Amino acid sequence: MESFEYLLEESARTHGHLCPGQVVGVRMAMLGCRLIGLDNPKSSEQIKKLLVYVEMDRCTADAVAYVTGVKLGRRSLKFMDYGIMAATFINLTTDKSYRIISTEESRDLSDVYAPEVEGKSQRQLLAYKRMPDSVLFRVQKVHVNINEFDLPGPTKQKNTCSQCGQVIRDGREIVKEGQTLCKPCSGNSYFSHAMEISWPGMDWSPLNGKNGKSQAGFVKGTALS
Amino acid sequence: MFKKIRVEDAVGEKLSHDITEIRPGEFKGTAFRKGHTICDEDICHLQKLGKNHLYLINLEKDEIHENQAAPILANGLAGPGVTWEDDPKEGKICLYAETDGLLVVDKANLAAFNMVDEVMCASLHSYTLVKKGQQIAATRPIPLVMKRTPVERAAAIAQQNGGTVSVHELKNSNVGIVITGNEVFNGLIDDKFAPILNKKIAAIGSFVSEITFAPDDVSLIQLAIEKHINDGCDLILLSGGMSVDPDDVTRKGIYQAGATEMHYGAAVLPGAMFMVAYISGIPILGVPACGLHHKVTVLDLILPRILIGEHIGKKELAFIGHGGLCMDCPECTHPHCPFGKGM
Repeated sequence: MESFEYLLEESARTHGHLCPGQVVGVRMAMLGCRLIGLDNPKSSEQIKKLLVYVEMDRCTADAVAYVTGVKLGRRSLKFMDYGIMAATFINLTTDKSYRIISTEESRDLSDVYAPEVEGKSQRQLLAYKRMPDSVLFRVQKVHVNINEFDLPGPTKQKNTCSQCGQVIRDGREIVKEGQTLCKPCSGNSYFSHAMEISWPGMDWSPLNGKNGKSQAGFVKGTALS
Repeated sequence: MFKKIRVEDAVGEKLSHDITEIRPGEFKGTAFRKGHTICDEDICHLQKLGKNHLYLINLEKDEIHENQAAPILANGLAGPGVTWEDDPKEGKICLYAETDGLLVVDKANLAAFNMVDEVMCASLHSYTLVKKGQQIAATRPIPLVMKRTPVERAAAIAQQNGGTVSVHELKNSNVGIVITGNEVFNGLIDDKFAPILNKKIAAIGSFVSEITFAPDDVSLIQLAIEKHINDGCDLILLSGGMSVDPDDVTRKGIYQAGATEMHYGAAVLPGAMFMVAYISGIPILGVPACGLHHKVTVLDLILPRILIGEHIGKKELAFIGHGGLCMDCPECTHPHCPFGKGM
């Protein structure tokens, strides 16, 4: 594992700014990796051993992802939308799983750990560096029942929506009254009023050299059921 | 797991915790110890204490009783120079000074420890001078029975930096004093400063080996400091010449003697014009004239800290401001007052 300072600097650069959440995330990930016995999670030997569930979509999540190297696209990063400053680190080869929770009291304790710093954010930033892990975090040993369709690796199953024809990967289909449906067609969707459209420059591709100059306008839309 | 039973039905059962008795103005202490087997005669006494029901406790595997938790907490809290006994009374363990010295409390540790729901610790103020055997802190878990994990976490927090409360013996320093000012040097007035400083230094176990008088002359003040250093002094106090008049050249003399670090100004009244400097690691303290008039000044707050080897810089002289205003009482009760204790 690289040093804390190096990881923080690089994590902040990747994330876009340095903030208290970055400090928490970097430390959370360092502790998580230590607890599950991975000292170099981004290495080719260890990268496939690690699964991380983050429970928040805030700065801390990016720092956890940076330090551990887990990625949504590798299926090694899972987002659980709990709104809790916590993440669970799983070693797939040992089944060791630890959930690390950022303590609420650490926010209040910034005043005593870095009283000389003006400004809440800067004070928290330094205080979170000074606090021992025992103040910054609580840790739970947990069991995570991992669905085989959630694991990294090639797509294990494909099904087709009987209503719209969309291919559904990795067991995410809904079976309703004997019909195999994708989630949007099952009515369980985050969007609504979907209408298929055409758009300007729709003949563009990176290799066709037209550089998106075609000016096809909106022609008509076709509502999706 | 708790089982609640009526006191009348508890004869023959063992008490699961100490029971406290309070008789206002007369007595506060343990009426019954944990483990006491309840007999018929106890029923009335317990009822007078307001106990109509008692708990029978069956601990789960991951739970501990308050009497098991208290020593874990005390062990985490106690730093060097602190002693305690594994004999909780009413779930509480007291921590004592193992030696005469200066109590130092890691306030961040203490705050973080007390933020754990299941525990508490209360201490005397940091930088209180304490005597051997004096109680300096006490700790106890809050619930009667709790999970072991938060207790261990609290102990780990308390253990940071070598413990939360510690008592440091004051170094027996060889002190050199330089009394500055033309008025004293030329015999226009008698010096009153040296006896005051001498008394304060002796009171905390150090000794004054040399007193030198210097006029308001930068080079002569420099020479006086250098002489003390060459003679083996490991702490030097200079009085006078710390203010803003043209004749106040003591600071220049300190600088010319080779001070590599100088902090002028303390957030304390009396004592704003105080200076801490270092020459080759030897602390040089510039004591302003208020030391002649006020019984207790910034010097009384900083000197013990210097004598336990604490490095005093800008931060230390600034943070002392909260509580750094002496109330100037007609009858001084220091150290039994808030002066210097607000940090």
